[in-house]
Amino acid sequence: MSGLKPRIERLFGVLIRLSTGERMLLSSAAVLVAVGVGMIVILGAGYAATCRSPALSVFGLEFCYNPIETYFVLLQGAFGDSFKLAVTLQWTTLLLFTGLSFAIPYKAGLFNIGAQGQFVLGSLATTIALLWAAEIAPSGMLGRLVLVPVGLLAGGAIGGLYGLLPGYLKHRFEVNEVISTLLLNFIATAIAVVTVDRYFADPELQGTVSRSIPTEAVLSSQLFPSSANFSLLVFAFALLVLGGFYWLLTNSAIGYEIRTMGTQPKAARFGGVSERFTTLFSMTTAGVVAGVGGAVFIMMVLGRWQTGAPPVGFDGIAVSILAGNNPLALLPSGLLFGALQSGGQAIQFQLGIPSEIVGVLRGLIILLVATPELFRLFGTQLERRGLITVDGGRE
Amino acid sequence: MRSELKTPAKWLGGFLAVILVLVVTSWIVPPESITGQVLDALLDTSYASATLRVAVPIAFAAMGGIFAEKTGIINIGIEGFLILSALSSIVAVVGLTDAGVPPQVALWLGFAVGILVSVGAAAVFGVFVIRYQSNQVIAGLAIWLISLGVAPFVSLVLFESVNSPSVGTLGTWRIPLLAEIPVVGPIFFDASPMVYLMLISAPLCWYVLAYTRLGRYIRASGDNPRALDTAGISVSRTRFKGVLISGVLCGIGGAGFTLGQLGRFVGSGETSIGGRGFLGIVAYLFGNYNPILSTIGALLFASFDALQFRLQQIPALAIPQQFFRVLPFVVVILVLMFVGRTRIPAALGEHYDDDE
Repeated sequence: MSGLKPRIERLFGVLIRLSTGERMLLSSAAVLVAVGVGMIVILGAGYAATCRSPALSVFGLEFCYNPIETYFVLLQGAFGDSFKLAVTLQWTTLLLFTGLSFAIPYKAGLFNIGAQGQFVLGSLATTIALLWAAEIAPSGMLGRLVLVPVGLLAGGAIGGLYGLLPGYLKHRFEVNEVISTLLLNFIATAIAVVTVDRYFADPELQGTVSRSIPTEAVLSSQLFPSSANFSLLVFAFALLVLGGFYWLLTNSAIGYEIRTMGTQPKAARFGGVSERFTTLFSMTTAGVVAGVGGAVFIMMVLGRWQTGAPPVGFDGIAVSILAGNNPLALLPSGLLFGALQSGGQAIQFQLGIPSEIVGVLRGLIILLVATPELFRLFGTQLERRGLITVDGGRE
Repeated sequence: MRSELKTPAKWLGGFLAVILVLVVTSWIVPPESITGQVLDALLDTSYASATLRVAVPIAFAAMGGIFAEKTGIINIGIEGFLILSALSSIVAVVGLTDAGVPPQVALWLGFAVGILVSVGAAAVFGVFVIRYQSNQVIAGLAIWLISLGVAPFVSLVLFESVNSPSVGTLGTWRIPLLAEIPVVGPIFFDASPMVYLMLISAPLCWYVLAYTRLGRYIRASGDNPRALDTAGISVSRTRFKGVLISGVLCGIGGAGFTLGQLGRFVGSGETSIGGRGFLGIVAYLFGNYNPILSTIGALLFASFDALQFRLQQIPALAIPQQFFRVLPFVVVILVLMFVGRTRIPAALGEHYDDDE
C-alpha cells in the first residue's frame, strides 16, 4: 500500500498540471459542449414526447420542446426578477459551502464524496441544538445573538466530526476515502431519519419532519422578498469564508503543506510535512464547511429538518470540479449551478420539460471537465488544420 | 489461484455451521419467545429464496465492478449502468407489448435491450477514460449523476410520470424433480431465472479471470500493464474489453432486477436501483475482488435486506428499517478497517499509453 500516494499523484496528474488560463478555457468549453449536448437531448425528448401543439417543426418533423426557448426560459427563471434571483442565490450559497468541502481535501490529494452526509448530519445537529437551546435562550434580539451562533457551531462541529472520521480511517487504517465517504452518506441519512422520527418529530405532521426551530434563529431575508428565503448577510458570510480559504490555501504555511501533499507527496514527506496533519485537517475542515452549509440550510431555507435533503453535497462536487477546485472560482461556478437549479423549476412549470434535464447537464459538465485531454486533442486537430494558432503556453 | 477456492470453502463451512447452530437453538428455545420468532423467520425457506432474489442486482454489480477494476479502471459508475439498463429494459418491454409482442417474449427482449444499453453506456465511459484519459473517479460519478437525471427525465417524457407502468416479471422456473428435494429444492430449484444466472455467473466469472487467456490479460492490465504491453498485447484494448464486460454484467443486474423482481421502474429519489450498484462495489471490496466471494458478500448483504421485511412482522422487535439498509455499509467499513487490506490491482486508476 505504500504505492498509494504516488498512484494518486499520477491519478490527479493531468488535472493538476493545467494552468489557470487553461482551466478557465476548459471549464467554459465543457459548459458550452454540455449545453450543446443538452440541446440535442431536449430535441430528442421533444420528438419522443406527445403534445397537443408542437413547439418547433423542422422539415416536417415535429418537436414538442424548442431547445433555444428552453434555455431562454431557464435563464429567465433564474434571473428574471428579484424573487427568482434570490432563489438562485439561495442555492448558490449552499453550493459554495459544499463546493468548498470538496475543494479543500482535493488540494491535499483526497476525494471527499461525503459532503452530502456531512451536510445532512450538520443540518440535523443544528436543528437539535436549536430545539434544545430554544427552551433556555432569552427571546428577542438577545436570543438571536445566542441562537444563531449556537446553530452554526453545532452544524459545523458535527459536520467536522463526520469529516474527521473518514480522515482518521484513511490515516490509521488506510481505508480508501472515496469508498468510506460515499458509504458514510447513506449512514448519515439513516441516522438523521431515525433520530428525527424517534425524538424530534412534529406530532402534527405526517412523515419524518422535525419540530420548527425558534423564529429567533431564522436567518431572515434582506432586500429580497422574504418568501424567497435568501439572506444577503449569509451570502456575504459565505463569500468571506471562500476568501478566507483562498488565502489559507495560497498564502499560509498550512495551505502550502496541503498543496505540496496534493501535488508532490514524496517531496512533501521528505520536506517534513506531516501527512497525518494534512489528511486530518483537510477532511475535518471539509466536514465543518459542509456542516455549516447544513446549518444555513436549516436556519435560512427550511426552518426544520425533514427527509429528502436536496443533493447539494453531490452538486458541490460538480461546482468544485468546474471551478478547478479554486475557492475563488467557486463563485461563478456556484452561480451557474444555482441558476440551473432555480431555472430548472421554470422550464418544468412553463414548458412542461422535466427539470431532471438539469441533472443531465450537471453530469455532462462534470464528465467533460474531468476530460481535459478531449479538448486538448480537439485543439490540436484544429491547429493542425490551420484553423487556429496556439502561441506558446503549451507544455 | 487454487488457494483462492479455499476462502469460499471456508465461508460455506462457516455458513453451514451457523445454520446448524440456529437449527439446534430453535429446537431448544420456546417458539413463542422473541428469539423463537426470530429464528422461525430466519430458518424459513422463503427467507432464503428472498435473499437469493435480492442479491441478484448486487452480485452482478459486484462482478461488473471486478471486471473493470481488474483491468485497472475504477468504475464508480456501476450504479449509473444499473439505472440505465433498468429503465431501458422497461421502456423496451412497454414498447414491444404495445406493438403486440407476447408478454414473455417482450420481457426477454427487454432484458436484452437493457443489457445493450448498459454496454453502450459502458463503451462511452470506456472511450472517455481510456482514449481521452478522463479522471476515472470523477467520470464514474458523472455517469451516475447523468443516469440519475436521464432516467426520470425519459420516464417523464414517455410515461408522463417518473415511475413506469408495471409490466409483470419473468416469473420463476421450476426445475422438475430437483424442486421436490426438501429445503434445498424450493430454495435453489424453484427460483427466478435471474437467480440461476447469478449462481452460474459467479463461478464462471471466477474461472474466466483465473484460468483463461483473457482473464490473464485482464489481471496483467491492472497489475502490471507494462508487462502486458511488452508481451505485445494492447493494454487499452484489454481495458476496453474489461469495461464492456462490466457493462454486460451491470446490464444483467439492472434489467434482471427490474424484470425479474420489481416489474417496473421507479424514478423518484435515488430510483428503484437505490444504491444497489454501490452495494455491489461494497460487495467486491468485501470479497476482495474474487467473483465467488463477492457474490457471497452480495448474499450476505441481501440477507440483511430480506431480514428487514421479516422482522417487521414481529411487533415486539422495533428495529428501524434504516438500520438494516445501512448495515452493509457499516459492515464493509469495519471489514476494510480490521480484516485486512483488499488486494487492489497495482495500476488501478492509472492511465497507460500503449507503445505503438
